[in-house]
Amino acid sequence: MTEHVEATQPKERAPRDAIPPAIVIAFIVVAIVVICAFFGGSIAPDSPFTQRLEIGDTPPSAEFPAGTDLLGRDVLSRVIHGAWTALIGPVVVAAGAFAIATVLGLLSGYLGGVVDSGIMRWVDFMLALPGPLVAIVVVGVVGGGYWTAVAVLIILFTAPDTRIVRSAVLEQRPRPYIDAARALGVSKTRILFVHILPNVLPIILAYVVLDFAFALVNLAGLSFLGLGVEPGTPDWGRMLFENRTILFTNPVALLLPAAMVILTAVSMNLIGDWLFARFTRQ
Amino acid sequence: MTAKSLLTVRGLAITAAGRAITTGTNLEIARGETIAIVGESGSGKSLTAKAIARLLPPGVSATGQVSYDGIDLLALPEREMQQIRGRRLSLMLQDPFTMLNPLMKSGLHIAEMLRDRPEFRDRAALNGEVARRLTEVGITDPDVAERMPFQLSGGMSQRIALAAALARDPELLIADEPSTALDVTTQAEIIKLLKRVQQSRGMGLVLITHNLRLAFSTCDRIYVLYAGSLLEVGSARAVEADPFHPYTLGLLLSEPPADKRVPKLIAIRGKVPRADEVAGRCAFADRCDWTKDACRAAAPALAELAPGRLTACIRRREIAAEMQALRGSALAAASPSAAPDSATRPIVRAASLVKDFAGRAGRVVQALKGVSIEVRPGESVGLVGESGSGKTTLGRILVGLETPTSGRIDIGGFDASDFSAMTSAERAATRRIIQMVFQDPYSTLNPRHSVRRSLTEAIGTIGRFPRSEIDARIAELLREVGLPEYYAERRPSSLSGGERQRVAIARALSVKPKILVCDEPVSALDVSVQAQILNLFKRLKLELGLSYLFITHDLAVVRQIAERIYVLYLGEVVEHGSAEDVISRPQHPYTKRLIDSIPR
Repeated sequence: MTEHVEATQPKERAPRDAIPPAIVIAFIVVAIVVICAFFGGSIAPDSPFTQRLEIGDTPPSAEFPAGTDLLGRDVLSRVIHGAWTALIGPVVVAAGAFAIATVLGLLSGYLGGVVDSGIMRWVDFMLALPGPLVAIVVVGVVGGGYWTAVAVLIILFTAPDTRIVRSAVLEQRPRPYIDAARALGVSKTRILFVHILPNVLPIILAYVVLDFAFALVNLAGLSFLGLGVEPGTPDWGRMLFENRTILFTNPVALLLPAAMVILTAVSMNLIGDWLFARFTRQ
Repeated sequence: MTAKSLLTVRGLAITAAGRAITTGTNLEIARGETIAIVGESGSGKSLTAKAIARLLPPGVSATGQVSYDGIDLLALPEREMQQIRGRRLSLMLQDPFTMLNPLMKSGLHIAEMLRDRPEFRDRAALNGEVARRLTEVGITDPDVAERMPFQLSGGMSQRIALAAALARDPELLIADEPSTALDVTTQAEIIKLLKRVQQSRGMGLVLITHNLRLAFSTCDRIYVLYAGSLLEVGSARAVEADPFHPYTLGLLLSEPPADKRVPKLIAIRGKVPRADEVAGRCAFADRCDWTKDACRAAAPALAELAPGRLTACIRRREIAAEMQALRGSALAAASPSAAPDSATRPIVRAASLVKDFAGRAGRVVQALKGVSIEVRPGESVGLVGESGSGKTTLGRILVGLETPTSGRIDIGGFDASDFSAMTSAERAATRRIIQMVFQDPYSTLNPRHSVRRSLTEAIGTIGRFPRSEIDARIAELLREVGLPEYYAERRPSSLSGGERQRVAIARALSVKPKILVCDEPVSALDVSVQAQILNLFKRLKLELGLSYLFITHDLAVVRQIAERIYVLYLGEVVEHGSAEDVISRPQHPYTKRLIDSIPR
C-alpha cells in the first residue's frame, strides 16, 4: 500500500531560550516579597508594633538596621511585615478580575450579538471612568478600607481584561477546529471551556501578572491617602504617609518602603511582559 | 551557455540558526532565458531566491558564490547591492495582498521606482510613464493607478506588483510563486502575461513554483529542488519526456491528470523531510522505491548523464527501464467513472438555497442565489468554483455551520434547512449522516489536544462508551486513515500537514457518517502528499461506502474523485453533469475558461 505513513521521529524540542538576567532578578525580588509575606514573623528582627517613644525616630544603627520611626518602631520589621498587604490585595485583585473577565470575555467573544454588545458597552463605560478617582471616592464614602479598595479595583480591572479575553477569543473562533467541533455537535459550554479557553489562557495569564503590578501601586497609593489599611498596620503605602515628616532624620524609613513598592511593581511588570512575549511568539 | 551567462550561482548554501536549509545549489541563467526552480514546501526554493537578491530574513545566512554579470553579489557592500536590486535584478513575491503598501495608491508603487530618473521629474511625464507601464501589464483603465490596494482584486494587485518590479527595467526577474495565491483562471492570465513580458523584453526569468506542469509549460530549463538539494536539472521538454530522477518522476505521477481518471494515483510515500535530516545521503532515499545502501552512504552529486541533463540519482542507469515502465503503466491506466445510479433516493438534497450576508454600508451580498444540488448514497459529487463562487458557504450550510436565508435541505430524510429549528435528537442524527473535512490542515485540529483527545471527544458525541471501546475505536480509525496507532498520543504540532489532514478525516469518520463534505481538503498540501490523501479518499469510499461532496477549485483533483460535477459561478450553478461530460465537453463559457487555464 503506497499510502502508508512512515514512522517519524518525534521532533526534538526547540532549545528553550535562556531566561534573560533582568527576569531572573525580577523573579528573585518577587520570591523575597513572597517569603516575607508568609514568614515575616520569623524573619523580622522585632515586632512591627513595639513602640519606643523614648527614642523616637533614629537613623539606621546596629540595633535597628533601617532605623526607627516617630513612635520608635523598627522600620525593617515593619517593611518585612508590610509585604503581606502588598501581596495579598494585588493577588486577590488579579485573580478576581481574571476570573470575571475570562467568563465575560468568553461569552462576549463566542456568542456575539446582544450579549457581546451588552458586555462591551459596560466595558466602554468602565473605561471612561477615571479609575483611581472612583476608588478614592468609593472607599472614602463607603468606608471599609483595604478590602473595599480591593473590591473596587477588581471591578475596575475587569473591564480592560474582558476586552483582551474577547479579542483572543475572536481570534480562535473562526478556526476550523472550532467549526469541526460544532459540526460534530459538541456543546457550546464544552467548546468554550475545553477548546477555546486553553488556547487563550496563556495570553490572559500574562495580563494577570500585569494586573498585580497595577493593583499594588493603586493600593499603596490609597493607603498613602489614608484610605487603605487601618492606621498602625505595617503597610508600605501607609509607611510613606507616616514617615514623610522624618525624611531628614531617618530617610531610610521613607525610602525603603518606596523602593519596595517600585521594585515589586517593576519586577511584576517585567515578568508579565516576558511571559506575554513568550506566549505570543508561538 | 556559460559564455553569456547572466547569473551564475555556485555552491549556494543557506543556513538558519545552525540548521542547513540548502546544501550548495548551482544555478545558471542566460540573458533572455526562463528557468524554473521547482520544489515542495521546505525545499528552500524561496530562500534561494531571497539569497540571490540578498534579502534573507535576519538569522538566515548564505555562503557560496552568486555572480551576476561578473559581479559577486554576496561580497557586494549593501549600498551597491541597492543599486543592483530593482535596476538589474528584480524580485516579485507570492502574496499579492501583502506585497503592496496598503496606504499607497497603486500607481504610486510604480512612480516610486521611476522617481530618481531625471526624465520623469515632470509630473505629467511621470504620470504618462506610469500609465504606459500599466498598459504593459494589461491594465488599460487609467483609473486603476488612483485606486488603493484594498480596492483591487488579487490578479490586479499582482499586475501592479509586476509593473513595479519591471519599472526599472531589470535584466532578470525572479518571480516567487507569482500565481499560487490567485484563482485558477487568473493564474493562467498572470503566467501568460509574465511570459509575454519576458519575451518582448528579452529579460531573464526565474520562476519559482511547486507546480511541475506550470514549469514545463513556461520555462526553458528546470531545476528540481528537494529538501535543500538539487536533484535534477534539464531542459523542460527533456525532463517532461523522461525524468531522470525518481523524485521528479514521482512528482509528475502524483499530479492528478485532468484529462482522465486513474484508479489510483501513484503517490510518493512519507513526507517531505527537512534539509538537515537528510544531510550526508540522498535526500530522497527514504521515499524512493529504488533505494540501495549506496544512496544512504553519501550525498550524491549532480552528474551529467546526457548533454544538459543532470541528475543526482546514482542508480539512474540501472533503473531507467523500470522508471519508464512505471510511467507507461500510469499513463495507460484509466478507469471510466461509474455511472451514477439515478434510481436511489438522494442522501443530501438542497433546493433553491439562498444565502445573504450583510455587506458594507448595509448592502446585501448574495453568496448563493438559488442553488440546488443532490448527492446520492455512495456517490462522489464535485463542487467546482473559484473564490467568491459560494462553494464554501454551501458546504458550511449543509453541515449546519451556517443557516440559509431561504431554501430547503433534506439530509437522509430529515429537514435540515435550519439546524437550530431541529430537535436535538434530529440534529444529532443528522450530524451522524454528514460531516466535514476542512481546508487548512494547520488549524483544523485543536493545537492543545492530542490526537486521542480529539478523537475521544468526537466519538463521545454519539454516546457514552467504556474506555476500552473508545480505545479500540480510535485504533480502528487511525488504521482506516493509514496512521500508526501510536500517533494517538501525538499533538498536532508534531504532525506534518498530510498527517493532520488524516487525523481530521479520522475525526470526521468517528461518528460513522454516510457523507463527507470536503472543503479543499488537499489544496494546502504538497503535491506528493496530495496524491496520498486523494488515494485515501478513494479507498475509504470503497471500504466504507462513503459519499463525498468534494469542494475544490482544481478540476484535475475533482476528476479523480467525482462522478458528477456542479460548476458554481458567482453563487449560481452554471453547469452540471457527469465528470466526463463537464470536463471533456464543457458547455458554459466559464467552465471552458476553467478548463483552458489548466497548464499543459
